[in-house]
Amino acid sequence: MKAYIDASLLAILKEKFPSAEYDSEATQPAVYVPAAEIVAVLSFLRDDERFAFARLENLTAVDYKTYFEMVYHLFNWTAGVWITVKVKLDHEQPMVASVTGVFPGAEFEEREVYDLMGVGFTGHPDLRRILLADDFEGHPLRKDYVQIMPPHVRRIEKGGR
Amino acid sequence: MEIWNTIMEQGVLATASEILRWFFMLVFASELIVDIIMKGIGIGAILGVISVAAIVFTYAERKVCAFMQVRIGPNRVGGRYGLLQSIADMLKLMSKEDIIPEGCDRVVWALAPMLLFVPSALIYAFFPFDKGAAFADVNVGVFLMLAISSQAVLPFLMSGYASNSKYAFIGGIRTVAQMLSYEAPMVFSLLGVVMLSGSMRMCDIVEAQSQQLWFILMQPIAFVVFVISATAETNRTPFDLVEDESEIVAGPFAEYSGMRWALFFLAEYANLLSVSILFLPGVVWFGLKVLAMVFVFMWFRWTFPRTRIDQMLAFSWKVLLPLALANVLFTGVGIYARQWM
Amino acid sequence: MPQTETYTLSMGPQHPSTHGVLQVRLDLDGETILKATPYMGYLHRGIEKLLESRTYVQGVPYTDRLDYVSSMNNNLGYCRAVEELAQIEVPERAEYIRVIVAELNRIASHLVFIGSLAIDLGASTGMLYAFRDREKVLDLFDLVCGARMTFHYIRVGGVSADLPPEFAAKCDEFLKVLPEFMQEYEDILTGNEIFQYRLKGTSRMTKEQALSHNMTGPNIRAVGIPFDIRKVDGYGVYPKLAFDVPVGENGDNWDRYRVRYLEIYESAKLVRQALDGLPEGDFMAKFPKALRPPKGEVYSRTEGTRGELGFYIVSDGGPKPYRVHIRRPSFINLQGLDDMCRGMLIGDSVAAFSAIDPLMGEVDC
Repeated sequence: MKAYIDASLLAILKEKFPSAEYDSEATQPAVYVPAAEIVAVLSFLRDDERFAFARLENLTAVDYKTYFEMVYHLFNWTAGVWITVKVKLDHEQPMVASVTGVFPGAEFEEREVYDLMGVGFTGHPDLRRILLADDFEGHPLRKDYVQIMPPHVRRIEKGGR
Repeated sequence: MEIWNTIMEQGVLATASEILRWFFMLVFASELIVDIIMKGIGIGAILGVISVAAIVFTYAERKVCAFMQVRIGPNRVGGRYGLLQSIADMLKLMSKEDIIPEGCDRVVWALAPMLLFVPSALIYAFFPFDKGAAFADVNVGVFLMLAISSQAVLPFLMSGYASNSKYAFIGGIRTVAQMLSYEAPMVFSLLGVVMLSGSMRMCDIVEAQSQQLWFILMQPIAFVVFVISATAETNRTPFDLVEDESEIVAGPFAEYSGMRWALFFLAEYANLLSVSILFLPGVVWFGLKVLAMVFVFMWFRWTFPRTRIDQMLAFSWKVLLPLALANVLFTGVGIYARQWM
Repeated sequence: MPQTETYTLSMGPQHPSTHGVLQVRLDLDGETILKATPYMGYLHRGIEKLLESRTYVQGVPYTDRLDYVSSMNNNLGYCRAVEELAQIEVPERAEYIRVIVAELNRIASHLVFIGSLAIDLGASTGMLYAFRDREKVLDLFDLVCGARMTFHYIRVGGVSADLPPEFAAKCDEFLKVLPEFMQEYEDILTGNEIFQYRLKGTSRMTKEQALSHNMTGPNIRAVGIPFDIRKVDGYGVYPKLAFDVPVGENGDNWDRYRVRYLEIYESAKLVRQALDGLPEGDFMAKFPKALRPPKGEVYSRTEGTRGELGFYIVSDGGPKPYRVHIRRPSFINLQGLDDMCRGMLIGDSVAAFSAIDPLMGEVDC
């Protein structure tokens, strides 16, 4: 990421959303917001002309074993600056509001996160598994996922069958 | 020398049949038996022509398409030119498993490929392969031929309906729409020829061409309309919406395998040959002209993209049909003007 | 009273024109499409998970398998992300070589697009021509790295080997014949009336629609938005090279075809410039074999052949990445499929799949 959002703008964001937190020491600080406010924050970032982050370039989730982290990378094309917004989620029952209302292009990515990471999205128009089969158990990108052997692979004994 | 004169006068095939008839008369000495034998030979000859045509055209299609696509084409079976490729194909098709899809309407499904072959073969009964060499030289030959060829719609619909597959069904429905709409311009394009020769008898049409100009020169518009609608009738690109591998996989043929599929294939090539013969019936250059026409159809197939169903129907009704009708009008005016002069 | 009923047609995963194993369920009224729903995952191999169990350098060949038609661009995207994370300075010669191979691969990938669009519209000869010419690019890659499909040529820190001495002449030769074979496509496809009728005005998309579906690459440029990351971010040595970003006007399938067609010329221009300006020097940066990037994370993106190819890598300071997420452009572009197909005919749906140009290795990851 080349140009990151200015510290003064981050202060404005902090003013608007007092619950948003960021490390003011870091060069490219990610903004942590509570799960309840993510839709409001993203629509503010998109609509406010000082920010004008019109593009949600990337959406994903990371499993930090004790908590999940939703990561939103937003890009302002006219100014060429980035902002990273993060949401920490409970590891037992990760739920977050869907941002498809703000950025409709997030639909497939949220489904992918739901499928592989097991994060639930409220308000998603069509929340189904996208890559794995509907009857698949577990969420492979979680760190505690244990891979099971494929059911039909039989071990061949030495010296013929 | 005498035989040579007869050949020149009557044509090769007619002379040959005369000789055969004379020979059988010597053996059996009964008009009835000889007639039956001669008809049998005729049927056998027509089926032979169709099978040979299918074999030759399969090979030709592969080679023509390969050369157009900067490839070599068949080059393994039967020497470096792959001459036996079609035979190998045929053997492969015959030895393939006959897969019957689940839930299909068995009787209708099995009947469709056979029924499709019947009209394609039956058309040949009216073809003047040479002077006087038509199996059945009826006085409404053109009409009968068109009537029979339009029967080909039904087997497509049958196989589409009976296959229990949506792709096949869409293909079947498309066939009906396509063939019915291209029948009309085709009939009207042939009407001009009938008007010029003043007869629906195929042999008369051939005869008329040897006296006047070839009809292809006198009726260029009708010829173009005919070629386009013939492409649609034989379901070849750019009008191969019935098979259409990239959209509906193979349409009505999707569920057929082995010999049943081969019958569809055979019918396709029989149709290809018949439409190639139709407008340019035989004089001396018969074979060459047919091959040229077949090549034109292959050329279309391998260079054109496919049209869409709505574009194709619109083209038939909005372009081809008015053209064909205008051609009929001008032909009529021309004939009248000539009489008046 | 006769009634019509809608029905569902499942196109794929075994269908000749779904570009691999994409399944699209079409809700149809006769031949008119009411709704198109893509179902993917038939080629899911869990590359993101696999990358977590390999070291950073070992991860590169996995990216070859993402978009296997343009592996160079995937290598480039991943390597740039790792380099940004580990703060590795890439030698300039390597950057130029990267531009050459990435743009050549873009040409090859767009040729595959032209070919598959042609065969999906029934013009099988067009396909063979495009694949014949793609072969020339693959021969060049064969020369460079010995592979024709999954190259693993661009490595973390540079490229795996210097360009062979005869490469410049061979590449020159290819750039000379490029306008010739492009003219052939012009003759056999672009100029064909049926081809134009099939593409013009079909699957039209507005700028708003394309933006809302977050489309990138040629798909967004076709609607008239010049979003090209080579220009927007200006990574590598791209700012030093001159090239244009072709855009469409109407956002129909024709524009999607034209944009890619013109991009081939632009890529050729870039290759030519990079080849002429190729500096002397190292082709590989010096960095410790056991790469341990500092704790942190990075989101780095490049312009893949199908759009914005982003790699989000989280490092915990160990030899293996803690988490890798790949933003695959064709995966996200597929969101636009429904809008592109709605109200069109079955025949148009095939053109629409082709025009989005999804590659299932990338979609399913």
